[in-house]
Amino acid sequence: MIGLLRRSAAQARYLLIGSFVLLFGFQLIIVGQAAEVQRTQAFGRVAELMPAFLQRGLGSKAMLLATFRGTVSFGYFHPVVCLIVALMAMYFTTEPVHEIESGLVDLQLARAVPRHRLLTRSFVLAECCIVTAVLLMSLGTWTGAHLFDANTLDLPDAALRGRLLLNLSAVGSCFAGFALFVGAMSKRWMTAFTTVTLTAIFTYLVDFLSIGWRPMRAAAWLSPFHYYPALSIIAGDAPMGRNLAVLFGAGVAFAIAGYWRFQRRDL
Amino acid sequence: MGVPPAIRTEGLTKYYGPVIGIEDLSLEVAVGEVYGFLGANGAGKTTTIRLLLDLLRPSRGRASVLGVDCYRDSLAARRLIGYLPGDLPIYPDLTARDYLSYLSKLDNRPVSQAYLGQLCDRFDVSEIDQRRRLRDQSHGMKQKIGIIQALMARPPVAILDEPTAGLDPLMVQAFRETVADLKREGRTTVFLSSHVLSEVEAMCDRIGLIRGGRIVTTGTIDDLKRDATRRVAVSFSAPVPAPSSVPAGATLRSASAAEWVLEVRGPVGPLVRTLAGLPVHDVVVEPFKLEDYIAQFYGGDAR
Repeated sequence: MIGLLRRSAAQARYLLIGSFVLLFGFQLIIVGQAAEVQRTQAFGRVAELMPAFLQRGLGSKAMLLATFRGTVSFGYFHPVVCLIVALMAMYFTTEPVHEIESGLVDLQLARAVPRHRLLTRSFVLAECCIVTAVLLMSLGTWTGAHLFDANTLDLPDAALRGRLLLNLSAVGSCFAGFALFVGAMSKRWMTAFTTVTLTAIFTYLVDFLSIGWRPMRAAAWLSPFHYYPALSIIAGDAPMGRNLAVLFGAGVAFAIAGYWRFQRRDL
Repeated sequence: MGVPPAIRTEGLTKYYGPVIGIEDLSLEVAVGEVYGFLGANGAGKTTTIRLLLDLLRPSRGRASVLGVDCYRDSLAARRLIGYLPGDLPIYPDLTARDYLSYLSKLDNRPVSQAYLGQLCDRFDVSEIDQRRRLRDQSHGMKQKIGIIQALMARPPVAILDEPTAGLDPLMVQAFRETVADLKREGRTTVFLSSHVLSEVEAMCDRIGLIRGGRIVTTGTIDDLKRDATRRVAVSFSAPVPAPSSVPAGATLRSASAAEWVLEVRGPVGPLVRTLAGLPVHDVVVEPFKLEDYIAQFYGGDAR
């Protein structure tokens, strides 16, 4: 198992390093920007710039985004950040289908390696990747706070950061499970990865549009992002237990279905 | 109970939707045997091999390796196999040495460094070659590394799909010597799929010919020789009339006053007896050619 893990991680090293640098840098920049806005007392103007449909949809919580604390927290639920975390996880959990397509699975499974080990390897790597990503994001915020002298400002406390990052990890895990299932059903990596990527983007849009567009709310419950209500988490009124249960539960359910399918399919 | 065969399939069938991969394929390969598995592209060779490795799930039938069921006890069966895929997949970023090391650690089968060194020497894979990344290696070198990875753990059963594809004549000879050594030691059964008939003829104890997913003939090369139809040309020193009849097993293809051309299946003794008393100048019996023998099964759709 260690050999498989090391090999996969080594193959994806450039992608991993790039994504980690991006996520770390993103937090660094957002803290720097928020500190600058705070020092120039410009958050009032930021609130005025907020689109009306967002203000209507989010109500009083929309104003949380127009604060130093809210802006720094935004770094943990920005669409780019959410999608990078989900895509990294999905890259790894669709890896078995890439191995089938390239024939590498023939070399691996011609030896006494159980089929499920390939999926477990991928799932473990996806989870490690998510954990590393959120830790680096947290480190990015901490570094940014020191670098831009923002410690005296109203930074989101460790508990809030932890809740946001835990919820982000749950979103990543949900997509990891989903991608593992799609990969287990697919013959081509490109098909599998495109499917899960488009699904992630589509479900993000569904959740985002449901903020201001009432008909979309009926479908919003299908989006994993619906269970990451970041502004409610900042406001302290999010049902964390339920949301985490839904996200991790869906991830595990998809993963189990993926294992079941992979065990029975032709490779 | 006797020793189970190295490979046994019984009614093994694989359908890809409406397409037949293989159908009711039954074969047995004895322990220590070198078995040549022949067939045109798409005939079902690779499907059979991938079924033995449990990479494909059969539509029906059974397969076992040294008595171990390939599906119910797949891990134990695969522990007995060394496999060379027809199209060797590689990790381009790995050196040949790291590639072999990675593969040997996957299931922790012991690899004797002495034997590995011996294989590398035989296939002329130098220390420098071992340190080069696979992306920079030639096709032939990758193929040699593929053969080495299949044999390095001294598996009881080696399944080699097109092992000499891309090898130069010297390396083909090295491969033949390796197979001969394995045969001499009697510990490894070799199941070899190939298009190169001369190679099969030179190395294999027995062959099986697959066409359209079914075994159409199987036997030793001697069996096949006995069964083969050969061309016999008889020339005469004086004019002779065309024969009124020919012995059983022979077919007259052409007859002139100076020469008869016949096709004879089985022994030529009865024909020789028929020729007694005639002014025979020469009898030319075309030597057995596996190519010609195989070709007779490939009329029409070769698959």
